[in-house]
Amino acid sequence: MAISKEAYNALESAVGANFISDDPAVCEGYRSGPGGYESGLGYERVMTTIPAVVILPRNTEEVQRIVKICNRYKVPYVPYSTGFYGPRSHCHVENELLVDLKRLNDYEIDEKHLYAVVGTGVIYSPFQQEAFNHGGYGIIGGGGAQASVIANLIGDGWSPLSHRVGLPHRRILGTELVLPDGEIVKMGSLAVGEDPFWGDGPGPDLRGLLRGFTGLRGCLGIVTKMAVKLLPFQPEKLEPTGIAPNTALALPPKRVKWINFQMPTKEAQVQGMVEIGHSEVAGAVTKVPLFWRAIAKAEDKEDFWDIWGKETEETIKNFHILRVLLIGFTSEEQMEYDEKVVNDIMAELGGISRPTKPSDESWLKNADSAGMWLMCGSYISVDYIIESLSQATKHGESYAEVKRKYTPPLMPDNGDPGWFQSFEMGHQGYSEFLIYWDQDEDTNGVDHFYLETSKMNIKERYYTSLLGPHQPMYLTGPKYGPNYHIFMLRVKDEFDPLWVCHPPVPLAHDEFVERAPWMKALKDWETPAEFPMPKW
Amino acid sequence: MANDRFDTPKKPVALDVTDLNNFVYDMSRCIKCKGCYWVEHTYMPGVRFSTRCPSNVWNDFDSYGAFGKMRIGTALAEGKLQWTPKLLEIIYADPLCGACDVGCKRNLDLEIELTLEAMRIKAVKEGAGPMPAHKKVAANISKEHNQFGAPHANRKKWITGDVKVADKAEVLYFPGCSASYRNPEIAQSTAKILNGSGTPFTVLAEDWCCGNTLYSVGMIDEARELAKRNVEAIKATGAKKVVTACAECYRMFKADYPKMLDIATADLGFEVVHILEYADEAIKKGSLKLTKPVEMRATYHDSCGVSRLCDPWTPWKGTRGWMGMVEPRLKRRRGRSGLYAQPRNILKAIPGVDYTEMIRIRENSFCCAAGRGTREAYPDLANSSAKHRLEEVREVGAEVLVSSCPWCKDNFSQAVKENGDKVKVMDISEVIAASMQA
Repeated sequence: MAISKEAYNALESAVGANFISDDPAVCEGYRSGPGGYESGLGYERVMTTIPAVVILPRNTEEVQRIVKICNRYKVPYVPYSTGFYGPRSHCHVENELLVDLKRLNDYEIDEKHLYAVVGTGVIYSPFQQEAFNHGGYGIIGGGGAQASVIANLIGDGWSPLSHRVGLPHRRILGTELVLPDGEIVKMGSLAVGEDPFWGDGPGPDLRGLLRGFTGLRGCLGIVTKMAVKLLPFQPEKLEPTGIAPNTALALPPKRVKWINFQMPTKEAQVQGMVEIGHSEVAGAVTKVPLFWRAIAKAEDKEDFWDIWGKETEETIKNFHILRVLLIGFTSEEQMEYDEKVVNDIMAELGGISRPTKPSDESWLKNADSAGMWLMCGSYISVDYIIESLSQATKHGESYAEVKRKYTPPLMPDNGDPGWFQSFEMGHQGYSEFLIYWDQDEDTNGVDHFYLETSKMNIKERYYTSLLGPHQPMYLTGPKYGPNYHIFMLRVKDEFDPLWVCHPPVPLAHDEFVERAPWMKALKDWETPAEFPMPKW
Repeated sequence: MANDRFDTPKKPVALDVTDLNNFVYDMSRCIKCKGCYWVEHTYMPGVRFSTRCPSNVWNDFDSYGAFGKMRIGTALAEGKLQWTPKLLEIIYADPLCGACDVGCKRNLDLEIELTLEAMRIKAVKEGAGPMPAHKKVAANISKEHNQFGAPHANRKKWITGDVKVADKAEVLYFPGCSASYRNPEIAQSTAKILNGSGTPFTVLAEDWCCGNTLYSVGMIDEARELAKRNVEAIKATGAKKVVTACAECYRMFKADYPKMLDIATADLGFEVVHILEYADEAIKKGSLKLTKPVEMRATYHDSCGVSRLCDPWTPWKGTRGWMGMVEPRLKRRRGRSGLYAQPRNILKAIPGVDYTEMIRIRENSFCCAAGRGTREAYPDLANSSAKHRLEEVREVGAEVLVSSCPWCKDNFSQAVKENGDKVKVMDISEVIAASMQA
């Protein structure tokens, strides 16, 4: 059913004529693909479409009005902050309304209590710079400097700085959420007053509604405002230098410093992370994939492949750089102390300090996720896990094994086991596996690989974050939780009885497997004859 | 790297804007990171002044940003989208300032600027473009050889008695339409700089428009004819160096003429320099002496044509294959040849000038949106962009806003007048001339 004129008029009255459009050219600009995160793959081709109408609210009240109108007229809608997250944040059904939240860009900082209140349209790099300007810092998630702070925090929200700052749920303070039926929920201290300084509040902690495992892609409502915790930083200025594309933040050498250590083995590399964490020093401790270094060195795509072409399974297997960020939070002396502790640990483990540029290109302000597309043009992080350090680091090796079968179309990476790092002062480990391919190849193998990783996780009993809307819930749900799928669907039915909010999420990947003929061969789990949701 | 397991076929491709299909790869690899929209994150100043795309600031829908236009361009290339007034607005309400291009080339090396140009050329080829205001400009150029439709006979009225023009010289000054008819003070100041530094210069006997608007709105056939005519006319004078004080003329000569003529910038037959380059060099050599104090707190606006859009052009065609790699190797134009140091050197060399930087500078500069056919067809966009930029001027506390393009000067001056601002707008040639002893 098309969006009726009556519904359109009601929506227009909610925001004004300048902020709503059903023009085909305007709507075409909101297509998910053909490029971008996960784009060019089956999910994007089969499951996404352009919106029938796009609307740009300015504040929570307008969002609430829109959502209520959608419920009244049974108009499916999808919340959209920047569109960077690829197909899963775009329209999935015909005649859908896309709610573009970029105009919710209000920002306030409470310097005294160190938190910032952001709207959904605020992205990370200005958020971080404002924090720097006021003596604090936050985390720019791996999603990148251009990601919406709110969208990233309710999905992922971590980076190497999570070594010290911790996981995102701790940084989500008072939050405002418009539920799928238009009711406003205020979380944390906002539930009892105007001050959003604290994340907990009366009643059950509803932050699970926002995040699930790692985000629900907006299928349980729209976050319009969030207070985000900041942490005290050091006082010296980080100075931007260079002309694009060769730009970096020059670091004050006595207060902020990256050091790369060449470790003799992977075991020493992991042990180094544990020891540094348990010594409660450093601002970040991470291992980077070798191809990230090639990206950083390369002048262009062709140069990348020249550099990467020189690597072999052997060189990759023996590449054990441990990258440590030192920050003199309280004083130069404190950083000197941290460095001595790190050097002692390295001496014991056989780590050798390598020359490292006195600058930051990647994590303090410009988390450079867009650079991941340079060499192949297509990319996703196929899985990420948060585990103990010793277990998280095994995860990547298993992935690398499964990946061999699907290369091509996946990029030849000689068994690179991905990215891992310390979280929470070494008490937790993080592993993320990234894949790349050429979308002009037959990409069915990438779709297969994505699903096979779920089966691998189930078989090996690995924890995985990518559940819910990211994988078939009827495959993963019975194995995790258990019965995560039943729980999730009950929550969805309760909060969104009409399923107007981003259908068919969270059953979208299940639906994809049903619709994509090339996925049938992999389907060896049970599903109901009909999925328990309305048809759109 | 052995890639024999992969079977991506090699496809012919060229940096040829007359065929949008050459840019299908670029459009299809846009990832919506919006590096085209935001100030480069390393330089991100905070929540204020965080953007660099005038079009998408003017209209918030994604379609007005380059990331939306890449999707629209894909649909156009596939024949899935019909020309409509709204589609034309999306394509033409855009100063093609290059912010998106350098932003994308920070990470992805996609040819955004060329794609946007190719979309306009396609619009014209298919009878949908350009906009009515552009057709009027084209008619003016056809009739009077300038874009305002002013009598061609007035072309050299800027040459007053104190300006010494040689019949023949190594250096040729190309003033362009704006300085010739609307901003004679820029032409006169430029002449004063050349005269004052002991550089004999000549001008064309018959100055015609550089064709900036024609090329920019997609009228490539008409623009190419002007390019051929102007290049031949300059060659006929025997001049070895063309000086301009207009950023749009400079970009045309440096990049778009070679592009249209399918030659390298180096093969034009003469060198192209902006007065910024000339004056900076002359100051360093000591032939231009800036001794008269000019008391003012000034800031500088990087005009697009002398910054991110002026990398020299080299024709390229080849193939694209596995992982999108091209052969032969392509040296991407990333805006790194911009004249970023020169204006700052000059202003800092002038006694009395208290120089302060804007917040968004160099490749992150926020375009005033006057150029490339925008002000003619979308005056509201040009006006709002100039006013947006003036907020930044006020933020840094400057009394004088200096630029290197008459289009910027006019647009800012108009916005200042409407705002009732006390900011004075000057071209850099005027500031230099003011510091020269009479």
